[in-house]
Amino acid sequence: MSDMSAAQESVGNSRQPAAIELRNLVVKYGERPAVNGLNLTVPTGTIFGFLGPNGAGKTTTIKTMLGLRQPQAGNVRVLGYDAVAESMEVRARVGYVSEVNSLYDFLTIPQLSAFCRSASRQWNQGIVDRYVGVFGLPTKIKVGRFSKGMQSQLALSLALGSNPDLLILDEPTAGLDPLARHEFLNKLVAEIAAEGKTVFFSSHILSEVEAVADWVAIIRDGALVVCDELDHLKQTQKTLKLTYANLPPAAEVQALRDLPGVMSVAQEGRSVRLLTHGDVEALSQTIQARPYALRGVEIVDLDLEDLFLEYMKGGDNGR
Amino acid sequence: MPNWLDVNPRSGVPLYVQLVQQITHAMEIGILQTGEQLPTVRQLASELTIAPNTIVKAYDELAHLGLIESRQGVGTIVTANLNGALRPHQLETIFERLDALVRDAANLGVSEQELRARFEAALARFYRGVQGREGEGDTHDGATRATVDRQQFSRKE
Repeated sequence: MSDMSAAQESVGNSRQPAAIELRNLVVKYGERPAVNGLNLTVPTGTIFGFLGPNGAGKTTTIKTMLGLRQPQAGNVRVLGYDAVAESMEVRARVGYVSEVNSLYDFLTIPQLSAFCRSASRQWNQGIVDRYVGVFGLPTKIKVGRFSKGMQSQLALSLALGSNPDLLILDEPTAGLDPLARHEFLNKLVAEIAAEGKTVFFSSHILSEVEAVADWVAIIRDGALVVCDELDHLKQTQKTLKLTYANLPPAAEVQALRDLPGVMSVAQEGRSVRLLTHGDVEALSQTIQARPYALRGVEIVDLDLEDLFLEYMKGGDNGR
Repeated sequence: MPNWLDVNPRSGVPLYVQLVQQITHAMEIGILQTGEQLPTVRQLASELTIAPNTIVKAYDELAHLGLIESRQGVGTIVTANLNGALRPHQLETIFERLDALVRDAANLGVSEQELRARFEAALARFYRGVQGREGEGDTHDGATRATVDRQQFSRKE
């Protein structure tokens, strides 16, 4: 939309090479493919929401990006490194917060920091201390006594200790109450993304993805359904509600289905709903120029949940 | 921080569009004045808990519309020619409303002829001060009253 660039703080841009690039990725558990020909590009500097129903292959994809699982086929590049051949390089440069917090319960924060430092090449304790301070975490008691929210905040603080350019988070807010979730996401956005780091996080909470992500991908059955800038997705995917003066003939409904930009058509009597892609205004004009009188034409915006559900039930209607 | 900003991520309207609309509106009604500083991207991201890129995109769009400017060392400020910059956008909105009006009237069964007569009457009421009542399509006898009403109209301004 805009090709001008106001000189803001650097928050990344799409001309840089991709932070993550997956090509035709296949990862199998035995015979069953968990990831099945996945293609995905994560632009540098974005907050990228990775969505999909349970069992869609999100966690397997993430583990493969970190070199923790071997793909059967395809390519995985993370920050320009091959995640299979150069998995050590990848892990040294990527901060990772896993779904299951596997912190050592019997250690305090300073002890845990020392342990992480020993495993890292470029540890920066100052960063960890800063985030521990930002979250107000206690440094004297054992981590096992922390609440779930505090453990997530600590996991994030430690993941930032190697000053990574890319943070990968697997369901980082699972099990957090709304307040803790908000605080976590707020720091993610205000402290980490604002520094130009790429944040890739999987989630099944659509509302949080909708709030903080600027890019989203939806996968299903181990393959990509859609990947787009969230604002662009909302701008280009609309529902068009048509109310005809008289019952439209079946041939007309079929003709609507064949119009470019129409993804699906649902009819109930004189009322027809179209899921559209692209220039909905132009499509609306085209339809109004057709020889069947319309009582009403309404363009309805879709939120992320609407879009998600449309894609899930859409089958082959997705792009 | 700006309590007049109230974005809704759950809306189908893209977040950056909401930001552009609300900041533009704040300028129109004078909450944001020329020369005033906008929050930094980081401040606003933190305040609203939304992606910094989304705010950059909104600020880019506002800069593109000529409403704000980023100045080195100063930050992002509201620029002077507010009315001039908003004008093309406002005109576009007005003409869209005209299209919608014609379509809605047609949907209600108003004939092209009647709509045209009404439109002429509305134009006459405004520009020549003809006092056509609602429902009066004919405007030809209004010319003699025009001068008087025009004075009334000017006084109202």
